[in-house]
Amino acid sequence: MNELLLQGLVNGIVVGLIYALIGVSLNVIFGVLRVVNFAHGEFIVLGAYGAYFAQQLLGLSPLLAMPLVFLVFGLIGYGLYFLLVQRLSRSNDPEHASLLVMFGLSLVLGALMLLAFEADSRSLNFSLEPPFLMFGNVILPTTKLLGLGVSVVITGCLAYFLYRTMPGKALRAIIMNRDAIQIVGVDLNHLSALTFGLGLGLAGITGIIVSMIFPSFSPFIGQDYTLIGFIVIVLGGLGHPIGAVAGGILFGLAEQTAMVFFSGTVAMLLGFVLLIAVILIRPAGLFGVQNLR
Amino acid sequence: MDGVELSMENISVAYNGDITVLQGVALRAQPGEVTGIIGPNGAGKSTVLKTIFGLLTTRTGAIHMGGRDITGLKAFQRALEGIAFVPQNRSVFPGLSVYDNLLLGCWPFRKDKARITRAIAATFDKFPVLKERSASPASALSGGQQRFLEIARALVTDPKVILLDEPTAMIAPKISKDIYALTRSLADQGATIILVDQNVRQCAAISDRLHILELGRNKAEGTKEDFATDGQLKEMVAEWMNYRIDV
Repeated sequence: MNELLLQGLVNGIVVGLIYALIGVSLNVIFGVLRVVNFAHGEFIVLGAYGAYFAQQLLGLSPLLAMPLVFLVFGLIGYGLYFLLVQRLSRSNDPEHASLLVMFGLSLVLGALMLLAFEADSRSLNFSLEPPFLMFGNVILPTTKLLGLGVSVVITGCLAYFLYRTMPGKALRAIIMNRDAIQIVGVDLNHLSALTFGLGLGLAGITGIIVSMIFPSFSPFIGQDYTLIGFIVIVLGGLGHPIGAVAGGILFGLAEQTAMVFFSGTVAMLLGFVLLIAVILIRPAGLFGVQNLR
Repeated sequence: MDGVELSMENISVAYNGDITVLQGVALRAQPGEVTGIIGPNGAGKSTVLKTIFGLLTTRTGAIHMGGRDITGLKAFQRALEGIAFVPQNRSVFPGLSVYDNLLLGCWPFRKDKARITRAIAATFDKFPVLKERSASPASALSGGQQRFLEIARALVTDPKVILLDEPTAMIAPKISKDIYALTRSLADQGATIILVDQNVRQCAAISDRLHILELGRNKAEGTKEDFATDGQLKEMVAEWMNYRIDV
C-alpha cells in the first residue's frame, strides 16, 4: 500500500505540474485582462493538433514543434485580442461578458476541430528509450518525466519573466491595480495583447506536453482541460500566477493519490470536494487576495 | 525641472456618451507655477485632470503642451511626453516592492539601465523614508508613505507637467504639510503643477493662479492676488468655500 501511495504521490506531482501549466496561462489571462477564457482547453487541444501535424507534415518532433507552436499561437492570441478581447475589456462587466463570448468561441473551435480533424482520437508518434525508469518500486514513464521537466522549465521561465523583468512586473502590476498602470506610461492595450498572446502560446505548448503524456486527444476534450484549469486557478487564487502552480500540484496530488484507493471517477470527485473545501475555508484561494480589484 | 505651458481650450467631456461633465472649460498653467483648481463637489475638478492626462476623451476643444497639440494622444503617450499624474485614488501597486514601484515609474526610459539607476538613486535621496523601505511591499507602507511613493514615482521621470489630484486627502496633517511644501518646492524648481484640492485654504496658499469650476464650467480665474484684491472674486470664494483668500 505504501508503495502504491508513493507512486500516487509521484504521479500527483508530475500531473500536478502539467495542470499547473494549464492554470498559469489561464490565470495570467484572467488576472491581466479579467477575461474568463472558456476556450482555453480548445487552444490546448489545438496545440496538440499543431504538434501532430508538425510531426506528420514537417517531420518535427514534439519538442522541436514547441517553439513553432508557441510563436504561431502567440501571434494568433495577439491578433485575437484586438479582434475580440479588447471589446470585452471595455465592457462594464468583462468577467461575465467574456465568459459568454469565450464559451461561444469554445463551441465554435470545438465544432471547427470536429469538422477539420474528425472525431477520431489521435496520438503523437512519440516515445523515449527506455520507456520508463524505476526508482525503487516506483515506476515513472520517461515521457512523463520529460513532460515534467519541460513544465518545470517553462514555469521557471515564466516566473523569471514575471518576477525579474520589467514587462513581467508591469504585467503583475496590471493584475494588482489595472487603473494605475497607464499612469506610469504603459501601453495597456499592447501589453494586454502580448499577455493574451503569451497565454495562448503557453496553452499551445501545454497541448503538446499533454499529448506527449496522455495517450490520445480529440476535439472533445478541450472543455475537460478548461475545467481543470479553472479548478487549479480557483484553488491557487484567481489572478495569482504562482498560486496556479500550488493549485495545480494540490489538485494533481489529490486526484492521483485518490486513484490509488478509488476509481478515476471518484478521484475526480474528490478533486471537486477539495475545491469546495478550499472555497469554504479560503474563498479567495490559497494565494488569492480578497477584493483584488 | 523644465516645465512647459499647458493649456486647454473649450474642453467638453461626457461620461457614457451623454452625461456631460465638462462644458467649454479653459485653463492655462505656466512653468514654475502651481495652478490650483477649486470648486464645490461635482464641479469637475478631477475630471479636468483626467482629461489632461488622456484618461477621458474630449468631445470638443484642444489641449496643448509646450505649444504642441496633444488632444489626440492616449494616456500612456502623454506620460511619455512628460505629464505625470498622481490620482486621488491609491495608485501604488500593492504587491510590488517600493523599489519595483519606482522602477515601473521609469517605464518611459526602460531600456536605459544607467538612467534608471540614477533616477531611482536620486529619488531615494529626496525621499529617504522610501529608501529605508525599499524592499517592503507598497501595501506595508502607511497611507502617507504610499502617497509619497506615488509622488516619488511621478517625479522619477523628471516630468514637465505634474497633475496632483487631492494629494492630501485622508492624509495626516503633518504629512499633508510636507506634501504641500514639496509641491511648492517643485514649482519653484520650474515644474508646471496643476493641483486639485478640496482644502481651499492650503490650495490658495501654495497656488500662483486659481481656477474656480462650477458644474463643469469655468466660473472664475485669476492670480492669487486677483482673488485677494478683486471684491467680486473675493466674495465668490467666501460665499462658496467659506474662505477669504489673502495674499
